[in-house]
Amino acid sequence: MIQIQNLKKSFRTEEVETLALNNVNMNIAEGEFAAIMGPSGCGKSTLLNIIGMLDNPTEGSYQFAGHEVGGLKERQRTQLRKGNLGFVFQSFNLIDELTVYENVELPLIYLKMNKTERREKVKSVLERMKIAHREKHFPQQLSGGQQQRVAISRAVVTNPKLILADEPTGNLDSKNGIEVMNLLTELNQEGTTIVMVTHSDRDSHYAHRVINLFDGQIVTESQNRAMGAML
Amino acid sequence: MFKNHLKIAWRSLKRQPFFTFLNTFGLAVGMAGGLLISLYIYDEFSYDKMFADADRIYRINADIKFGGSIMKGSEVGAPMAAAIKRDFPQIESVTRIRDRGGLLIRKPEAEANTKESNVAFADSTFFKMFGIDLLVGDVTSALTEPNTLVLTKTAAEKHFGIQNALGQQLLLNNTDTYTVAGVIPDFPKNSFLRDHDVLMAMAGFNDAQQMLWTSHNYFTFVKLLPEADIADFQAPLQSMLEAYILPYVQQFYPGMTAESFAASGNYLKYSTIALTDIHLHSNRSSELSANSSIQNVYILSFIGLFLILLASINFMNLSTAHSLKRAKEVGIRKTLGSNKSELIRQFLIESGLISFISLLLALTIALIALPFFNDLSGKSIAIPFTNFFFWMILLVAVAFLGLFSGSYPAFFMSRFVAATVLKGGGQSSVGGGKIRNSLVVFQFAISVFLIIGTLVVFQQLKYIQSKDLGFAKDQVLLIDDTFAVGNKLLSIKEEIQQLGQVSSVTLTGYMPTPSYRNDNSFFKEGATEQENALQMQNWVVDHDYLSTLNMQLIAGRNFDKRYPTDSTATILNESAVARLGMAPEDVLGIRISGDLGQESPVFYTVIGVVKNFHFASLREDIGALGLFLGSSNGALAIKLKAGNFSNAIGNIENIWNRMAPGQLFNYRFMEDSFNTTYQAEQKLGRIFVVFTVLSILIACLGLFGLAAFNAEKRTKEIGIRKVLGASVGQITYRLTTDFLRLVGIAVLISLPLGWYAMSKWLEDFSYKIEIGWWVLALAAFLAGAIAILTVGYQSIKAASINPVKSLRTE
Repeated sequence: MIQIQNLKKSFRTEEVETLALNNVNMNIAEGEFAAIMGPSGCGKSTLLNIIGMLDNPTEGSYQFAGHEVGGLKERQRTQLRKGNLGFVFQSFNLIDELTVYENVELPLIYLKMNKTERREKVKSVLERMKIAHREKHFPQQLSGGQQQRVAISRAVVTNPKLILADEPTGNLDSKNGIEVMNLLTELNQEGTTIVMVTHSDRDSHYAHRVINLFDGQIVTESQNRAMGAML
Repeated sequence: MFKNHLKIAWRSLKRQPFFTFLNTFGLAVGMAGGLLISLYIYDEFSYDKMFADADRIYRINADIKFGGSIMKGSEVGAPMAAAIKRDFPQIESVTRIRDRGGLLIRKPEAEANTKESNVAFADSTFFKMFGIDLLVGDVTSALTEPNTLVLTKTAAEKHFGIQNALGQQLLLNNTDTYTVAGVIPDFPKNSFLRDHDVLMAMAGFNDAQQMLWTSHNYFTFVKLLPEADIADFQAPLQSMLEAYILPYVQQFYPGMTAESFAASGNYLKYSTIALTDIHLHSNRSSELSANSSIQNVYILSFIGLFLILLASINFMNLSTAHSLKRAKEVGIRKTLGSNKSELIRQFLIESGLISFISLLLALTIALIALPFFNDLSGKSIAIPFTNFFFWMILLVAVAFLGLFSGSYPAFFMSRFVAATVLKGGGQSSVGGGKIRNSLVVFQFAISVFLIIGTLVVFQQLKYIQSKDLGFAKDQVLLIDDTFAVGNKLLSIKEEIQQLGQVSSVTLTGYMPTPSYRNDNSFFKEGATEQENALQMQNWVVDHDYLSTLNMQLIAGRNFDKRYPTDSTATILNESAVARLGMAPEDVLGIRISGDLGQESPVFYTVIGVVKNFHFASLREDIGALGLFLGSSNGALAIKLKAGNFSNAIGNIENIWNRMAPGQLFNYRFMEDSFNTTYQAEQKLGRIFVVFTVLSILIACLGLFGLAAFNAEKRTKEIGIRKVLGASVGQITYRLTTDFLRLVGIAVLISLPLGWYAMSKWLEDFSYKIEIGWWVLALAAFLAGAIAILTVGYQSIKAASINPVKSLRTE
């Protein structure tokens, strides 16, 4: 599903050019659950943003489901992203002005789905995530765990092929964190590919494969034989 | 999608009441100001357009230079109208109006007079030319007979009621009996005859039938045939000079030709002005109603535009500053699949919503402010709520304003990069500071400019009011229409003179403040060539004139009762003496006459020279003037001693009522009469103040909001600085100086512009102030002080926050 070859990303400030990613090569197969780990500043999030088509690589190739993404215009990236990708963030990133229901509905609106269909999908995903009773609430009225459940609902409501999670448990206590990880595992078992950036060893054990990044380069890759061993 | 946008917009406005308030209130104030100014300008442009065929009606103007005096006249000689009708086939009709001034009027059997302040003689063609229907009476015969008059509805109701008016008699000035030949509707408030209530038949007015080509006293209107072109009339109009004027003038100046007339530097130029242009483009020596000027319309248009621009800049600044808070939303929407154009649309809908809310608020503000605005501008404007086009224009304007104000923030915010704003909470990526700063500079530049304008207008007004006018207008009481009293007037003067509270009394209609005027050509004995003509005011006054008005003699003596020969003496002013090319000491004893071409001219001996005093607006130079001894019974000027004026006035009124029972006691202070000359400037001054305050208010709202957001953005920085030992004062200083620098730049830009613009404005005045450096300094200081007050509060607030709190937000 994801093929990355000789990927480079550099940031330029007025005087310094910083190389955030250097010659990254990786493949992620459909149905895989991969964790990207590494110390602060190693380039995890940059890599995730490129995979999520929020950012363009400076050099190299990134193919998503057979499409070359590097070099696409923003409008084209948006088009490719719609419906194919779901995002889960550490800080949830819900829109404060929208209710739970409306937040989850938003990606469907951008897909220009009609209202009845939208309602059906949103209701079912909210029920599945056990947050349906809160659909009229605004994000600030929810606990952190509940907010992340809403965010995950929003990420999956379009049935994306790929979910990108950027430290999804970083702002949660351990109980809520475990709950979120179980949800992601469940989604993965149903066939959704997941790429997750994490600091947490515990969370990384949910993944099939752990990719360790250091100073913008992949240093090790390891397979987790015992999936969910820490449960 | 639209609903979703609208919903989000509404909720985000509700969640940020402070921001929403600043934004909508600022915009509403700007809109309300813009709306009122638009209505004002619309009204200004509506003048005289209600007359049928207004687009074919023109007035003849005459520009004259003769005898050392220059006159921009709006009137021509009496025979002109008939000659034009005869000579120009493209003219459909002509009509003349001669201003008669005020008139005392009563039914013959009534005892008390009422005063009609604006009366005019009119030709019987008047009604047809202006398409005016009579409410009662016959339009074809009205004003065809001598001693008939037509009343407006208001005037008719005052005396008889409309239906009974026809055929009734009225006594004018206690002497002439006129018959009412018709009643017309009141002249519209936006017409050139708005103040006129009585039209008398020109038919019975002797002067109008005379061939007095050079007595320019008749407003002459022509109506072109529908297919005629004004240019074809305008060009040959000048031929009237050779065809009629020169042959007439040759009676007095034998041998004068067009060439010798022009060679002497004199001229008489005829021109036309469209009826509908009179209100805004005509500013001549006499007008039937006080006109406005296109310059003021331009000034107001600019102020209105500035106001709206200021408000819309506020909107842009506050919105982009506020975008710190919206960055996250933009990022999320982008990750969820929204593209740029959808985001732009969303933000534009939001600004549209704000504009619309502001419009509702603006209409409320305008409605509340309307009476004050009418008072300020001297108009009676109403908001045309029932007019479909008004709403159409308003909605289009508001939609445009929403788009205009919203476009920059929309493009600005939709450009946010999702990856960055979601990561860092958006802080680092949100810039736009440079544009925002430029907009603040622009706003303050406009405000400083308006402050300078206000200061200069008021200084000039103060200068006019306190200028040494060459006469003392203080403590002088004027009693008008004294002619109605007849031969008892001298006794009344005597009695008033006896009052302890009165220092001096003079009886004459010729006052230095607006009143009678009369000018004529004079000649030094033995020098009757046209190039030696002395065109000057000749005023008839009594022995007490100079002393009552405290005018200074610089040579010779005043009129004296011991010299009976003073009946043929004159006192000239400095301008007249200068025109004769003589020194004040040398002019004494020479003889002048105004009776050119007559068999036995009367000569007047110059016995004194009076220091120049202002008798026209300070916009004009002081013209030549001669005082002559005689009886003019138009008004009494009474110099009161300092003390209780109301008591003195009471005593004078008692004398009046006893000696002249039933006659109007019509008094005012000369000071007030003087001030009427400067109403236009005073109006402009007041309008300047109001809109300057408004623009500063709007600019401050914007600055206040920006300061708030700035402080918020720098919360962390402030916290760190405090942890490191900075004091509240140091931080406040730091936050405030950033804005002060912007105001400083604005001041530098607007000082030269303001100075230049106001110097131009002052050029209209012959007597004017110099714009002192302190005016500019004061404007700069005011702008700075206002900015410090606005920003200071936010800065101190931000600087006082406990650093633990400000650092925790990270």
